[in-house]
Amino acid sequence: MVKVNYKRCGYCGACVGVCENLAINLIEHIVVIDEKKCSDCNLCVIVCPLNALEGEK
Amino acid sequence: MRELMDSYDVVVVGAGPGGSMASYASAKNGVKTLLIEKSQEIGEPVRCAEAIPSIEEFGIKPSPEFVRNIIKGGILFSPSGKKVVVTQGKAQGFVVERKIFDKYLAVRAGRAGAKIAVKSTVVGLERDGDYWNVIVEFLGEEYVVKTKIVIAADGVESNVAEYAGLKAKKKPLDICSCAEYEMTNVELFDKNMMEFYFGNDVAKGGYAWIFPKGETANVGLGVRDKKKKAIDYLEEFIENSLASDKLKNATPVEFKVGGAPVSGPIEKTYADGILVVGDAAGQISPLTGGGIYLAMDCGLMAGEVASKSIKSNNWSEDVLKEYEKLWKEKHYEYLLNHLKYRKILEKLSDDELDALAEALGDNLDGIDLKKFVKRIITKKPSLLKYFKDLI
Ligand SMILES: Cc1cc2nc3c(=O)[nH]c(=O)nc-3n(C[C@H](O)[C@H](O)[C@H](O)COP(=O)(O)OP(=O)(O)OC[C@H]3O[C@@H](n4cnc5c(N)ncnc54)[C@H](O)[C@@H]3O)c2cc1C
Ligand code: SF4
Ligand code: SF4
Repeated sequence: MVKVNYKRCGYCGACVGVCENLAINLIEHIVVIDEKKCSDCNLCVIVCPLNALEGEK
Repeated sequence: MRELMDSYDVVVVGAGPGGSMASYASAKNGVKTLLIEKSQEIGEPVRCAEAIPSIEEFGIKPSPEFVRNIIKGGILFSPSGKKVVVTQGKAQGFVVERKIFDKYLAVRAGRAGAKIAVKSTVVGLERDGDYWNVIVEFLGEEYVVKTKIVIAADGVESNVAEYAGLKAKKKPLDICSCAEYEMTNVELFDKNMMEFYFGNDVAKGGYAWIFPKGETANVGLGVRDKKKKAIDYLEEFIENSLASDKLKNATPVEFKVGGAPVSGPIEKTYADGILVVGDAAGQISPLTGGGIYLAMDCGLMAGEVASKSIKSNNWSEDVLKEYEKLWKEKHYEYLLNHLKYRKILEKLSDDELDALAEALGDNLDGIDLKKFVKRIITKKPSLLKYFKDLI
């Protein structure tokens, strides 16, 4: 599953906007990814402006 | 929060410019309205360069409370540094303090009669006959708020429309990934002109900007690139670009990041008991990434249509589709045109961007597209292949 590097994240919500599985929620300042819904498509990794997401290789 | 223990006619999700304007219109028309915002501070975190055109048409005075600067036009820089000054007659815009402006708009909605829930996240919608149960989390507790209409104004995240079965998610390259420092001690060409920097090394698929904000300036950029991140482009823009010299004494006072959905409006912005506005609906210029004005205007229309439908006791999609008709009449052509221009710009090499700037000349007053394209292709026939579809 995609990992969030909380030290890099700027809680902007761009990743949420591309997740068609609705696996990501930005609860105020904290990105929460639902392992059960994530399909490892890595679309969120591409859009993150800060490189705060690391996809499964 | 007692606001979450009631039921409503209209529940608006997201207290950005779109949601606050929708709540204002709905409450002002005497309809029971709740505005839900997940942040504990409305307007934060800021994800914006904070430039807006005139707001007087909304009956809002450009008050010094949130206006930081008046803008008279822009200066475009081609990759090699050719300058094109763009003005639009005497038209003016503003750079605002978004966190104060957004809060001002929310207060305005509250004063018109809307209830507001803060630090409250909408995590789901359930259909219940002709009603919605809006599932909200506040301080770790779950609340269920019943409403007739939901207005999804949740910005780029766009979860709420999807909960209702509409398609609102975007593709990664349909979103401009942005990073920005608000800085002080920026040397400006003109304190009332916005600066735009283009080039495939400067900001692939987007542009870099310096928007003067009085004692500070927003220095940022947006890119659409699979490889290099916005933050890396930004550090390079500051260190090593046409603007570096003017930024050498500058230092940040705020950091902002965000995603701007710049690929035009979503397929459908209404369904039974739901309307979608602002960034969530893709109501943002695909060329400039400007979305505050559009979110406000479409938000207003959504609030009007929602309250009218409550009064007529019919909030089915047959009635609510009026909203899409209204916003399309006013803004659809503009959005599609901007998408077209963006698609042309993103194809140009740095040399072609320089040639384009050359062809445009030093000054443009107003953007009269026909004149514009004619000027380009008489001066640089080599660019004809990109612009021929516009003639
Ligand atoms: C870096 C950057 C620079 C920009 N610069 C400009 C500019 O100079 N001029 C301009 O006009 N536009 C600019 N834009 C675009 C502009 O910021 C947006 O178009 C505008 O904010 C859209 O307004 P909105 O009301 O649709 O959404 P937003 O302003 O994004 O508001 C959405 C709100 O919904 C809340 N929310 C989201 N999900 C939930 C949920 N589940 N429950 C409760 N609340 C929720 C969010 O916290 C947020 O407050 C820029 C964008 C970026 C990223
Ligand atoms: S896109 Fe990146 S910076 Fe923005 S919220 Fe997601 S992980 Fe954080
Ligand atoms: S990898 Fe794909 S499914 Fe998983 S969180 Fe990211 S966008 Fe969503």
